[in-house]
Amino acid sequence: MKLRITEYLDIDVAREQWCCNRCGTALISARENYKHGCLIAERPMEEVHPPIVAAGDYSFRFDPDYCRLLEFYCPGCGVLIENEYLPPGHPITHDIELDIDALKLKHQSGHVG
Amino acid sequence: MSAFSYSRDFEVVQRMRPEPATAAECAAQALVGDLDFDIFKHKMHMIALEGKETTMKLGASTAMRWGDVAFGVFTAQGDLAVCATGIYHHAVLGQIPIKYVVKHWVREPSVRAREGDAFFYNDPFYGGVHNADMGLAVPVFHGGELVCFVGAAVHTGECGGAEPGGTSPLARTQYEEGLRVPPIKIGEDFRLKEDLLNMLAAMTRDPRTMILDIKARLAAARIAERRVKDLIEAQGREFFIGALRKILTVTGEAARRRIARLNDGIYRQPRFMDTVGTGAGLTRINLAVIKKGDRITLDLSGTSPLVAGKPVNSFFQGIIGLAMVYFCGWLFHDLPANNGLLEAVDWRFPEDSMVNAGGEVSTSMAPVVQVCFTQGMFLCGARMVYGAIPSHAVAAWFSGFAIPVYGGFNQFGDPIADISPEINATGAGARPDMDGVDVAGAFFATLSDCSDVESTEADRPFLYTFRNFFKNSYGHGRFRGGAGAGFGLMVHNVPGLALGAMGAGARFPMTLGVFGGYASPPTFVQYVEGSNLGGLMADNRASRPGRLDDVYSDVNPELGRRSLHDIAMAVQVFRTGDTIYFGVGGGGGYGDALERDPQAVMNDLRDNRMARWAARGIYHVVYDEASLRVDHEATARKRQAVRDERRQRGRRYSEFMRDWQQLRPPAQALTYYGEYPDSGRSVEQAPAAVSL
Repeated sequence: MKLRITEYLDIDVAREQWCCNRCGTALISARENYKHGCLIAERPMEEVHPPIVAAGDYSFRFDPDYCRLLEFYCPGCGVLIENEYLPPGHPITHDIELDIDALKLKHQSGHVG
Repeated sequence: MSAFSYSRDFEVVQRMRPEPATAAECAAQALVGDLDFDIFKHKMHMIALEGKETTMKLGASTAMRWGDVAFGVFTAQGDLAVCATGIYHHAVLGQIPIKYVVKHWVREPSVRAREGDAFFYNDPFYGGVHNADMGLAVPVFHGGELVCFVGAAVHTGECGGAEPGGTSPLARTQYEEGLRVPPIKIGEDFRLKEDLLNMLAAMTRDPRTMILDIKARLAAARIAERRVKDLIEAQGREFFIGALRKILTVTGEAARRRIARLNDGIYRQPRFMDTVGTGAGLTRINLAVIKKGDRITLDLSGTSPLVAGKPVNSFFQGIIGLAMVYFCGWLFHDLPANNGLLEAVDWRFPEDSMVNAGGEVSTSMAPVVQVCFTQGMFLCGARMVYGAIPSHAVAAWFSGFAIPVYGGFNQFGDPIADISPEINATGAGARPDMDGVDVAGAFFATLSDCSDVESTEADRPFLYTFRNFFKNSYGHGRFRGGAGAGFGLMVHNVPGLALGAMGAGARFPMTLGVFGGYASPPTFVQYVEGSNLGGLMADNRASRPGRLDDVYSDVNPELGRRSLHDIAMAVQVFRTGDTIYFGVGGGGGYGDALERDPQAVMNDLRDNRMARWAARGIYHVVYDEASLRVDHEATARKRQAVRDERRQRGRRYSEFMRDWQQLRPPAQALTYYGEYPDSGRSVEQAPAAVSL
């Protein structure tokens, strides 16, 4: 049984695994940061926020000294599970840390949703 | 004077949750039947709504006229029970000054609270945000007993201080922020005290607006007072007191039930701000939302320290106020909006951090800090609610402000100082089932309006050179954020005007997407001194800039001394004919852009909401450039190729981190950050603040 957690993430309750909602690929233990089970790339900022003003500090592109764009892909199907705008070198955020034991209990007792 | 220290009251600001019910309240609410209670709630909401509408109709400042108005009915202990508002945080925070009045003035022999009194406040330590936010409340008596307070809290566009317009990016301490009034009695015996009005008028650049706004709040409060008294006459004082308290009781219970449905866990979102007022600098607001059982805790540990000598700090109570914007508008949008919701919420703020200001530091730009925080609430909230209530998992609305502030004299010679109404012209965040609404309002003031340009031009020395949708102003995604507005202003009909800007997000995004949706683009201002635009308009030159993207075009015919500037810009003198351009941004995107319906992409091209580079480079739609007809098979192949390329390019976590951990912002950017990134400990390695 899988529970939907986000647009692109399920949790396989019995196996305690994060899974891709689109292709079903198991990513990593549900007790881990799901991003550790993704493929990660720094997306060139100008691909998403291209400079429209030619030069200078203000160009519609975020300043690479301040901000980088990371993307987290499903290794099975390549869907973009999440992205994160971070200062260079800043730790990747463990943005969803579920209490798996509570989740299993809730699921078993039927109090889901 | 009894036991009063002439200093900040640190105890009363902690009392944001409902006060313990009195014995009389407990006994009275037990007598309120369900049907009568439903009718009572409706009547009270109508009273509050009339208060809000009256305030708007009578007020003078931009925010008041266009709906950034909170009108509330508060219990005799000061708890917000009922509100009608376009701006939830002012309603919620409005209870602190009232609790201050209850604590300090009701029984103080030199002040007291009697029928016909009115109390005024704008001290941000009690109001929670910044000095431009001002409120007025009146005590309501029946049979000699204090039964409730009614009042309005609204941003008045000018409060004195180092710069005009209510927000000062130059303020170094609280003493440069202007007017600072802890709750005072401003009226007695149904009359305002003219000596105090005279004093308040003397302390701002726009005395007419200051006084009219005070009178608007009071007029609305007096109407609400009459309605409340009529209701009490009809249903009895005991019923009124019990039913008002019951609203708080049932709200708290409902909030806890809602929270209990969500998955237990910790949801994190560090937020980064790129300005410290007039200069660049990186700071972090580090939010963890800890959900366990029927409660959530907001933990701000790891937030950057106080930014000394700069105005980008906030009192903690303002942060809770902005969290309530998310709670009232999104997480609990179908529950009554009152501080009963906080029965389900706890909070922790680190001492001496930029979200827990103390001492004499300035909080003049606290609104920027607070909306930056609220982005984190949207993102943590989306992750927290999706499993139980997916329709509530939305991307954030635009949060960078990006608005002009100004002061001087208008075309009639009257002193003016204010902000422009485009603060309410932002795009909504994308949703799981649809794009964000274009130019929807402001997330903190969803029932507000951005005025028509003619109304603004009527008493402000501006000529709008254009105002319309701002192309590409939103975050892309499976569903895109709502578009924001771009506009140009020409200083008009006056010799000059002091003009600046307020906001953040030139270097680091203020508005993020969710579940793979992208952020809204950077915001900044362009201004042109000695512009020839007036001449181009006189010649009816069709090629003059008519949209914000025209302003940045290589063929823009506008000439003059052109400058680009951070969106946080101290005021400077603009001469007649000078121009300035703003892009008020759109909402964050939702989901993987490769999943967007190709036809929706074409619709955005056709409607001039999007550039062709985005259709090709973000959405990877293959289409005919002339007819905008989609080649669906080629698009599917192209998108699959992009997914394959992602899998080729992406690296495993450990491999990626080897290079990533070597990176670091330049030292200059970290001047105000604190230890980077987090005292040598990563966010994800930090121990949970609450054991699960």
